[in-house]
Amino acid sequence: MGPRKAGEREMLESVYSMIALVFVLVACVELCDAATVVDVYRLIQYDISGVPFGSRLAALNHHAGSLHFAPGADLSRTVLIIPVRDLDISFVKEYITQRQPLGGLLFLLPQMFSFENRDDTKSSHVNQGELLKTVVAELEQILIHAKIPYPVYFAFEDDDIDAVLADVKRNDAIGQPATATTGGFKLVVSASEPKKLASPTITNIQGWLPGLKTDGDASQLPTIAIVASYDTFGAAPALSVGSDSNGSGIVALLEIARLFSILYSNPKTRGRYNLLFGLTSGGPYNYNGTQKWLRSFDQRLREGIDYAICLNSIGSWDNELWIHVSKPPENAYIKQIFEGFSNVAEELGFEVGLKHKKINISNPRVAWEHEQFSRLRVTAATLSELLTAPELLERTGGLVDSRHFVNETAIVRSVKLVAESLARHIYGHQGKNIQIFADDSVLAVNPSYIRSWLDLLSRTPRVAPFLSKNDPFIMALKKELEDHTNEVNVQHEVLDGMFTFYDSTKARLNIYQVASVTFDLLLLLVLGSYLIVLFSFLVITTRGLDDLISLFRRPPSRKVKTA
Amino acid sequence: MTVFHFFNCAILTFGPHAVYYSATPLSEYDTLGTSVKAALVYLGTALVKLVCLATFLKVSENDSFDPYQELLKALIGFIDVAGLYFALTQLTHRNISQNHKFQAVGLGWAFADSVLHRLAPLWVGARGLEFTWDYILQGIEANANLVLIISLAALGSLMWLRKNKPRTLIPIIYACAGIVATMPSITSYLRRGLGWHFPKVVGFELFTSLVMAIISWQLFAACQRPSA
Repeated sequence: MGPRKAGEREMLESVYSMIALVFVLVACVELCDAATVVDVYRLIQYDISGVPFGSRLAALNHHAGSLHFAPGADLSRTVLIIPVRDLDISFVKEYITQRQPLGGLLFLLPQMFSFENRDDTKSSHVNQGELLKTVVAELEQILIHAKIPYPVYFAFEDDDIDAVLADVKRNDAIGQPATATTGGFKLVVSASEPKKLASPTITNIQGWLPGLKTDGDASQLPTIAIVASYDTFGAAPALSVGSDSNGSGIVALLEIARLFSILYSNPKTRGRYNLLFGLTSGGPYNYNGTQKWLRSFDQRLREGIDYAICLNSIGSWDNELWIHVSKPPENAYIKQIFEGFSNVAEELGFEVGLKHKKINISNPRVAWEHEQFSRLRVTAATLSELLTAPELLERTGGLVDSRHFVNETAIVRSVKLVAESLARHIYGHQGKNIQIFADDSVLAVNPSYIRSWLDLLSRTPRVAPFLSKNDPFIMALKKELEDHTNEVNVQHEVLDGMFTFYDSTKARLNIYQVASVTFDLLLLLVLGSYLIVLFSFLVITTRGLDDLISLFRRPPSRKVKTA
Repeated sequence: MTVFHFFNCAILTFGPHAVYYSATPLSEYDTLGTSVKAALVYLGTALVKLVCLATFLKVSENDSFDPYQELLKALIGFIDVAGLYFALTQLTHRNISQNHKFQAVGLGWAFADSVLHRLAPLWVGARGLEFTWDYILQGIEANANLVLIISLAALGSLMWLRKNKPRTLIPIIYACAGIVATMPSITSYLRRGLGWHFPKVVGFELFTSLVMAIISWQLFAACQRPSA
């Protein structure tokens, strides 16, 4: 019996240590058993010259509420879930401008703004979509330009979150807003304090297609620059894919580079112009990257640029494009560019208009990319579907600028326009009706190339401060330009100090269904009375009522008894 | 708040054991040693059971009810009875009456069962923010289990320790013990074979445990009478 017992004890001890180990492990495991987990995207947080803008908090731990809250309710510990579909923009404006206390905001965006959206039911929703687009664009501008002391998140509508919202709405409708004492849903985002991004870099990529040099140096040849800025800015940095602004410009630039690389690969068709392709960053910030890029050119190269065409937002127009210039239209170069473009446009069946906007040197705002060229006395124009110059941080590829609203054929036509007019200029066919990039030739514009790049861009958020130097996206752009041009240079610069950005753009939102404190208190009460009743019952049945009474009457008596 | 909920559920799960110990004469006769021994035997039994389950049972991919496997499981479940037999008859107890011995053993057994099966899920689950009724129901199940195990211990002590019991009652005692011992298999069948939901299963367990407790109480009292 003895040794058997010892062996048993040993075994039991090992079991104990294993159980203890399990408990230690369990205690370490982070709990994640929420009813619903949703990907959420935080409103951007940034400073302009030290003045704070955007959402200033990331961590969220409050009860959910809907817009159907009781009037006069205290919302300082409530996260309002607002579907953008039935958004009352004046309400948001009022809440934000009056600095009303809120626990947080969660905007639900329709799936059509999501880059995973793949439905082809465009036509049926076009009107509703356009309406929604203007509302969301307005909302975005309000949010970007306000300082909001609570967390603001965006999420996409899906079944789970719709079910939660329906539940919350029902509770609100019967006048039982969610607070700590009534249960409901709790929204939790565990995020640390947003940290400043240390010196955000911007990366410019340039590619050269040298022209045919007959005698002397190639750099003596005149240069034509095609430029597009590729980065975006929006209310939610992780959602700022900018399909139109300026995804369409990048796609067009890459396609033009591809077409001319075919022409320039053969000495017979190589033109007497150098082509310079520039993908610039810092577009939303007064084309800071373009400025740095131009400054890095040496004098000779800069003077060698015949003219520069900047591509900006050319993905959703119907029959009119605009050429924006800063020099007066009477200028001979401008006239030449404009006539070249409008002739080709006429043949393609649409119109090109000319818009002149003078540069005010004292104003730091640079509305168009070509203005950076013009400031350095390089002839330049911007091709865009926009009629007027956007304000700072407007039309920079934010929330609404999704793939859903971009038309591939518009990009194809833009590419044709630019490529054809450039080719006529390079080969000296101005005014002649020769189609170089005819539809069924080797040099035809390739719609599937455009589509695949547009799809990629529409999935890639490109807010410059959040793109690292060696971001896969930048590497992909570089590689693509390397395929089409001879000399590719990547230039890293520091974004000028006016802007400061903060991290944590993406998070996971846990939605818990919680019981209220009142419920737990009641439960404790019930359990307490249950145990007391059980105790009394057991004492009475096993020892008799007198014992129970004596237990309460003379507590010391038990001590005497046991002793 | 969530720690609060955990606390509540823990009270519901483990409170009755403590109350049972302190309210009944068990505390007066200082039977804690017996209970601890029974708990240790339970742990040993659980280990043996685990080894058996791992050896003889196939892991089913789906959660369906397979009668053959369930039968095997029920048979393995009878190892519990063997363990209880060991705890009641083979362990050297301090001189306490049979009356208290089975209660102390049952209590220790049930407490060890609760700790082993319910503490870890409770710790992981009830502290989370998400509210479910599961842990409260689990606590109620622990109560039912306590009653059931004490009934089983009572019947066991009748079977193995009491010599002079009325002849007519013997088949009833064995039948009841059989029913109580197969109760885990029955609930498992209800839950998975018939697809009952957790609240319904817990209600059934509570009901049957009370019925069995009353029956075994009556049997015990009936056996007590002639000797008294």
